[in-house]
Amino acid sequence: MGKSDNTELTKKARELLRKQVDRKLAAALETCVRCGICAESCHYYVADPRPEHVPAYRAEKLRQIYRGLFDPIGRIAPGWVGAVPVSDQMLDSLVETSFASCTMCRRCTVNCPMGVDNALVVRAIRSLLTATGRAPEMLEQLAEAAIMREEGLEYIKDLFLEQIAELENELREKVGDLKARIPVEEQGAEILYVALSGAHTILPASVLFYATGTSWSLSLFEAANYGVFLGDTPRAKRITQRIVDEATRLGVKEVVVSECGHAYTTLRWEAPNWFGKPFPFRVRSLVEVMAEWIEKGKLKLDPTRNRLAVTYHDSCNLARNSGLIEEPRTILNACVTDFREMTPNKQHNYCCGGGAGLVALPEFSEQRLNAGKPKVKQIKATGASIVAASCDNCRHQLGELNEHYEMGVEVIGLAELVVNALVLDKGRVPGKEPVVAATV
Amino acid sequence: MSNADVVLDLKGLLCPIPVVKVSQAIKSLPVGGVIEATATDPGVLADIPAWTRTTGHELISIERQEKLINFKVRKVK
Repeated sequence: MGKSDNTELTKKARELLRKQVDRKLAAALETCVRCGICAESCHYYVADPRPEHVPAYRAEKLRQIYRGLFDPIGRIAPGWVGAVPVSDQMLDSLVETSFASCTMCRRCTVNCPMGVDNALVVRAIRSLLTATGRAPEMLEQLAEAAIMREEGLEYIKDLFLEQIAELENELREKVGDLKARIPVEEQGAEILYVALSGAHTILPASVLFYATGTSWSLSLFEAANYGVFLGDTPRAKRITQRIVDEATRLGVKEVVVSECGHAYTTLRWEAPNWFGKPFPFRVRSLVEVMAEWIEKGKLKLDPTRNRLAVTYHDSCNLARNSGLIEEPRTILNACVTDFREMTPNKQHNYCCGGGAGLVALPEFSEQRLNAGKPKVKQIKATGASIVAASCDNCRHQLGELNEHYEMGVEVIGLAELVVNALVLDKGRVPGKEPVVAATV
Repeated sequence: MSNADVVLDLKGLLCPIPVVKVSQAIKSLPVGGVIEATATDPGVLADIPAWTRTTGHELISIERQEKLINFKVRKVK
């Protein structure tokens, strides 16, 4: 790499980081005291105790760049402050560090005596890599496909509605009511439900909306936001904008996000900051809504329909980053007979290893499966036959861990467990009664 | 008899994994090569067309046969 190229790269890195370094990131970059407590907090380090798997080591990579670009001494005498000049080679080496060796789960942050937010640091590294054309291709494609889903909506909408019509038939079959609907673009609905692409996030929620008589509309768009995984805030905002516009257009009171950790955290906590004002609607996770339905007695549940031992994997984004800790337990205690906690759990739970977009990156599957070892150990220790998870990334990863490590468990979402325990009016059970009439 | 260069069985895989598998498989094909795939997650009905439009590959066909969704994609570049 020539000197002029490095100069150009340095200039670009400086511009990018200048935009990124707010008070939160500056605090994360300046306050690490290198105590090393974060090492044992990280599932990568627990699975494979190498220095590269220490969160502080990973964050130090950005600090080296930061000092060289912004520290007055670092700019004159880099060696004195441990600054390292930006180079292509250096940035290339950070791809695995940031995209394959950290799921931004923040377990290190809650255990850090200084509260250093290493996830924020890793996201800044990802941002730098994305802006210099180094991000994993699959994340780029999925982010672009999400944007395309709106830009090409006229083309894609018919196919989407075809999918929903099929699911609506399944819903009618399940609840035994030919009038049951999966409404789309329902003006005046109270709730806009934003699912993921898969039917498994649409159908169980539809059954529950039906059972509770909720006024709702299914979003035309999916909740997943690959712009966040890229550390690309403009693109993440663009992907979120589709949902904000749709919710505003329909005039809903609330947006309910499917069982998806990053999608909820993004829409609930981060996105309002990007838009610079609060949304004109409330944002909740389906997990919160289900817990509320149970607490208010809106769902009649028979836990004996879920008799096998169930353990629960706390999603890092929902539990640690969003505080949804008791809600899943309210749900599980109401719909299964044998709920067993993992150890550690709640905000101290280990990441499954699939977060931050890793499940969509086959080139890093070996690292991902290895990082899942602490989770496998946790699950096995419970003796449970079923692992419930309230995040789709987690579900994908747990499913692969199950296969790879031959755990012999079933991985399932909370809504599916609730539907399985659901007793409809007049004692009917979803999917167990014949459809009333055979018209259509 | 399929005339595809690669046949993918994506049954049972949930989105976005079918898209990931197609994206992986198409890399090994020459331009003009065709992937034929069968999936069960109805999410591919919207995801695959969005992905082909994004990447510039050609979606030759996508159709549902009861619970199965069959689609063909041609590598363009």
